[in-house]
Amino acid sequence: MRATVLSAVLAAGFSFGAATLEAQNSATIQATATVLSAVTVAAGSNLDFGNVTPGVNKTIGIADAGAGRFDVTKAATEGVTLSFTLPTDLTSGANNLPIGSWTGGWNTSATPAGATTFTPSAGGTNTAATAGTAITVYVGATVSPAAAQVAGSYTGDVTMSVVYY
Amino acid sequence: MRFTWLFVLAALVAAGGPAAAQISVTPVRNLAFGPVIVGVPTQIGPSHPVRSGQLRLTVPLNSRVRFRFTLPNRLDGPAGARLPISFSNTDGIAVGNAPNSVPEVFNPKATQVFQTVTSSTIDVFIGGTVSPAGNQQQGNYTGTITFTVTIL
Repeated sequence: MRATVLSAVLAAGFSFGAATLEAQNSATIQATATVLSAVTVAAGSNLDFGNVTPGVNKTIGIADAGAGRFDVTKAATEGVTLSFTLPTDLTSGANNLPIGSWTGGWNTSATPAGATTFTPSAGGTNTAATAGTAITVYVGATVSPAAAQVAGSYTGDVTMSVVYY
Repeated sequence: MRFTWLFVLAALVAAGGPAAAQISVTPVRNLAFGPVIVGVPTQIGPSHPVRSGQLRLTVPLNSRVRFRFTLPNRLDGPAGARLPISFSNTDGIAVGNAPNSVPEVFNPKATQVFQTVTSSTIDVFIGGTVSPAGNQQQGNYTGTITFTVTIL
């Protein structure tokens, strides 16, 4: 019994000695990631002002028949950022038709009624996280033809980019 | 003889306590990749202001210190799904708290040994890359990064 006790004491002594020579500490953190499906955006309908009269501004609101529409598909529960590249003029050959006063609205159902409104911009707009996988985005604006606006068909690109935030 | 060994033991215990207490390693934040898209590798650099992993160690000045990471090669996700994670030779940065401290880029896969000269508190940052497959199971993935520091 005496020999056994002595052996235990010696083992403990060497263990503490090692701690003295190499004091050690550690900590852990987690690496985390959330895998999501790719977000997609499709052009739904053009922003169409129809016929405009020289010298008379014309506005298409997000709930009007001519409103532009984009259809977004995303992962459920995740919010996205909507960013726009917007023209300042529509063009017809060398002729310009100013466009501005952009308006926007996004909704989880395919209707502008009850849409959350925002101002489209290059800086982007965050949509709140939602349970759905679809967001419909409506875009409106105002064109301002000059009194001497040259007649013709004017067009310009409205580009919307979507990323998870 | 028996009393001699017991005396040695008492001395070692007395010396061991304060030395161990001189090292402090604290987790500050996780390496958080956030949303990643299936099929698209996502890299977070160690200097990322919010997503890089961060730990803080405090040791006495003029200490010779060894530290190493124990790194995962995958993150675990839903239903046993695994998400590959990798670390490059420049995915570690160590920065001391002294005003003249210069950030040191290092390989987190290798053991590092350094001497503390002007900083007793050192922030260590780590980045990495996750590579989800095209058919990667969607959901949340996690893995453990362990940081161990030893005063030599």
